[in-house]
Amino acid sequence: MSKHSALDTFGRSGNPLIRSDIFARQSSSLHERMTLQGAVDKTGILLFLTVLTAALSWSSESPLMGAVSALGAMAAVISGIATFGFWFFFIGWIVKPRPHLAPKTAPIYAVGMGFGIGIMSEQAEMMFPGIVIQAVSLTFFVAASLLFAYKSGIIKPSQNFLLIIFSATVGIFLTYLANLIYSAFTGASFSFLTDNGAFGIGISLFVVAIAALNLVLDFDIIEQAHEQGAPKYIEWFGAMALVATLIWLYIEILRLLMKLRSR
Amino acid sequence: MSMSLLTGFLGIVGIVSFVAFFFLMRFKASSKQTDRSNRIKWSSYIPYRQSNTERERTSEGSDQDADFKG
Repeated sequence: MSKHSALDTFGRSGNPLIRSDIFARQSSSLHERMTLQGAVDKTGILLFLTVLTAALSWSSESPLMGAVSALGAMAAVISGIATFGFWFFFIGWIVKPRPHLAPKTAPIYAVGMGFGIGIMSEQAEMMFPGIVIQAVSLTFFVAASLLFAYKSGIIKPSQNFLLIIFSATVGIFLTYLANLIYSAFTGASFSFLTDNGAFGIGISLFVVAIAALNLVLDFDIIEQAHEQGAPKYIEWFGAMALVATLIWLYIEILRLLMKLRSR
Repeated sequence: MSMSLLTGFLGIVGIVSFVAFFFLMRFKASSKQTDRSNRIKWSSYIPYRQSNTERERTSEGSDQDADFKG
């Protein structure tokens, strides 16, 4: 019998952080690297959740659904900020990105956004029948085309590309934010955002192009993380980024089609 | 082209695109894409927790650790 019965009973150390079974568990998780197939699966799961809740909010006639959708959209925004962080000019990161939260926040984001786009799509479909199928189809057509262009090396995102797309994206969101504040005080929106004339459609086309080019950045994040043997949770992070951009692209294509159909 | 015909056509395009999107995502990008010097360094923007390869590299240096045996 061992002289060190305490070692037999409790392992090499009594400290729970460095007990042998904890090490074994940690070393097995270390060998779990992200795969492209894993990112594909997670993207599929998140899109399924989004479509499921969008269908729920579309089909429900309960007056509570409006409140549920607003809460869902709010939860999605909080999940997005918690995972991707929040950066602002001259201040820098107000909330730092925390990709390790993605396995928990990505499903919340997908479910929340699903409720939001369900109501939006239902209203668009009532005004212009068939518009939702057209917008969904065009979204996946653009996504598949850009994915082919990325994988084959036709589009090569560089640091300058990132700078241009990031600046344009921040500009668009600041414009939307200003419009939100303006409409809260005046009850009207900036005319160039809602106008169905040539200028309004041009603005919409520009926003669709920027949203589409953000997809290229998402593809690059997933591809590089896979090459570098990133941890498993980056599959959720990459999938969440991709689904967020796909939802944005869908909303912008829907707005563009509504402008075109209302002419 | 009537609107319902256009919707049907775009619906088929959408289904084909959806399948193509998930099919293409499973494959690695071409060497034209990956073997470039001007790629975006995502690891400097996205704080991955220390990856497996880095941990292995760190543990390889353990023979240089201090030895307290008398």
